[in-house]
Amino acid sequence: MNKSMEAARDIITSYDGKPLRIMEVCGTHTHEIFRLGLRKLLPPQIELISGPGCPVCVTAVGFIDEACWLALEKQCIICTFGDLIRVPGTEMSLAGARAKGAEVKPVYSPLDAVELAKQNPERQVVFLAVGFETTTPSACLAAKQAKEAGLGNFSLLTANKTMPNAYQALVGAADAFLYPGHVNAITGNAVCRELCEKQGVSGVVAGFTASELMTALAVTIRLLGTGEPFFRNCYPRVVKDEGNPAAIRMMQEVMEPCDSEWRGLGMIPQSGMKLRAEYAGYDARIKFNMPVITGRPNPACRCGEVLQGKCKPSDCKVFGKVCTPLHPVGACMVSDEGACSAYYQYAD
Amino acid sequence: MNENTVTLAHGAGGTQTNELIDRVFKAHFANPLFTGDDAAVLPQPAGKIATSTDGFIVSPWKFPGGNIGKLSICGTVNDLSCMGARPLYLTCAFVIEEGFPLDALEEIAAAMEKTAKEAGVRIVAGDTKVAGKGQCDGVFINTTGIGEILPQANTSGTRAKPGDAVIVTGDVGRHGCTILIARNDFGIESDVDSDCAPLWGTVESLYRVTDEIHVIRDATRGGVGTVLYEIAGQSQVGITLNAASVPVDPRVRGVCGMLGLDPLYLACEGRLVIFAPQEHAEALVAALRAGKYSANAAIIGKVTEENAGKVIVETEIGTQTVLPQPKGELLPRIC
Repeated sequence: MNKSMEAARDIITSYDGKPLRIMEVCGTHTHEIFRLGLRKLLPPQIELISGPGCPVCVTAVGFIDEACWLALEKQCIICTFGDLIRVPGTEMSLAGARAKGAEVKPVYSPLDAVELAKQNPERQVVFLAVGFETTTPSACLAAKQAKEAGLGNFSLLTANKTMPNAYQALVGAADAFLYPGHVNAITGNAVCRELCEKQGVSGVVAGFTASELMTALAVTIRLLGTGEPFFRNCYPRVVKDEGNPAAIRMMQEVMEPCDSEWRGLGMIPQSGMKLRAEYAGYDARIKFNMPVITGRPNPACRCGEVLQGKCKPSDCKVFGKVCTPLHPVGACMVSDEGACSAYYQYAD
Repeated sequence: MNENTVTLAHGAGGTQTNELIDRVFKAHFANPLFTGDDAAVLPQPAGKIATSTDGFIVSPWKFPGGNIGKLSICGTVNDLSCMGARPLYLTCAFVIEEGFPLDALEEIAAAMEKTAKEAGVRIVAGDTKVAGKGQCDGVFINTTGIGEILPQANTSGTRAKPGDAVIVTGDVGRHGCTILIARNDFGIESDVDSDCAPLWGTVESLYRVTDEIHVIRDATRGGVGTVLYEIAGQSQVGITLNAASVPVDPRVRGVCGMLGLDPLYLACEGRLVIFAPQEHAEALVAALRAGKYSANAAIIGKVTEENAGKVIVETEIGTQTVLPQPKGELLPRIC
């Protein structure tokens, strides 16, 4: 362990002040915190809460139903980031649709889906565009490339989300946020700084290595002790104040803000992104004249409360019994970055 | 009929079947024990006999570092080797899809010949079937092996004991990573190559150090992580893994980082996990590092009495966590 990590460890383990609730917003942070066993270092007064920053976990049930409809009713080839395949919909997951003959392909990048559409001109290819500011620019690039190439058999089913208004929904859920470094690398720090200055919401931007996470946590604990609201960028290696202007321009060119439903948090105004009117031909909902599909989540599942830090995965009745990583009931059990999956897999 | 591809007639048992056997299989597998009779007649080995069988259906059939032919020899040779058995004889059965190129089949047979020679094993019987187009994917191979167990060898998944060191014979996850890249589903380029190798020589080198080898297992499907859980369960012991000491090729680490996969769960085809008393561990690693396929051998953990059935990881921040149980389908994560 290097010196700075040791110093951070000392600050974390020796804390003996008032109780603190710190929310790691990002799913990758949740996963790393579990992999490192970081909670085991915490004194009992410090509680780490896993927030809604795993794109798979916040994707609404209805979105899966829409994807299954496209796959089964319209025989589209569905291209998706792998995690989404096992997320339960109202009736079935995409894995279930695949068992009924649907073609569902995991891809690493939306551009792979564009490539697939080029290779299969007789088939319709739909990319499931989910994710935050980190993945949305590449979905926009895919739509742009498809339009430039005049591809008539490629479209996006969008459920892209943005963080700023989600933070508004989370104000008060914790004493401080560990902000998702990868998102801030795109958006810059203005939103988080404003939250601090105008609303007194504290937080630090955190990186993803053991050392970066420990440092961010130690800084948070130290600054919470001062009683003053704060914002710090503890990931300056990657996050610049202005973010990534090229990626922001790409998003603004192809997409525009819209209201969006978050699993657990409900409809949050202007927290989503949809394709602009010029790209309507690449919007799967418009292109396939999709009816309004409303998903019904399993009523026993408490993923929604887990995502807001209102309950722990182990407080849910189905956790670890009916709901396991092999047979997930809720989205938080599907992704490795979901709080339920992490709690289950790393249970002592 | 296309002379350059396998046809249904090649599998009908007539002249063309004989042509296929002569051109491809006899040309590469010829040895005095490989006769035209219905069964191979073999001299009786002095020691106990080990036998193992395995099916191979890898897609694509050729990948950096090997092909399905090499894999089909290594897989069975390595299973025998893990029991301390010197591989002696192999049989192989091919199921070939109609239309499969004859040149490719020849390339596969040549790889089998070369690998068998290196492993010191003879192919003594074979079978060929041709399946209609679409009924199988390219070529499927089954190999069955017979080996003679060294008199001093006594290894089993139930024999790991508290105090044993856990040794891996090289960097983990290379084969699985290579196949992921070769399938080209994810648009990622990397020059990573498979670790596919016959490991009898590696096992023999262990017994030159000590006879006290408790467990040898080759980490194939499911990778080293799966092997650790298997042994912890079968021997009812705990295993403590030192995460920082597991060797991982930087190329594999890079690909896994992008796809959100853990190299511990990716397949190897040329790596053994060995459990032996701590006092022999250093000497075993030194012997392994002198070997052709085990230059990066390392001690990665130890066996404990507590935490029976579990694998505990010592992390880089000095905490201990449970290694997550291996899951089914490997799905790359989203971001």
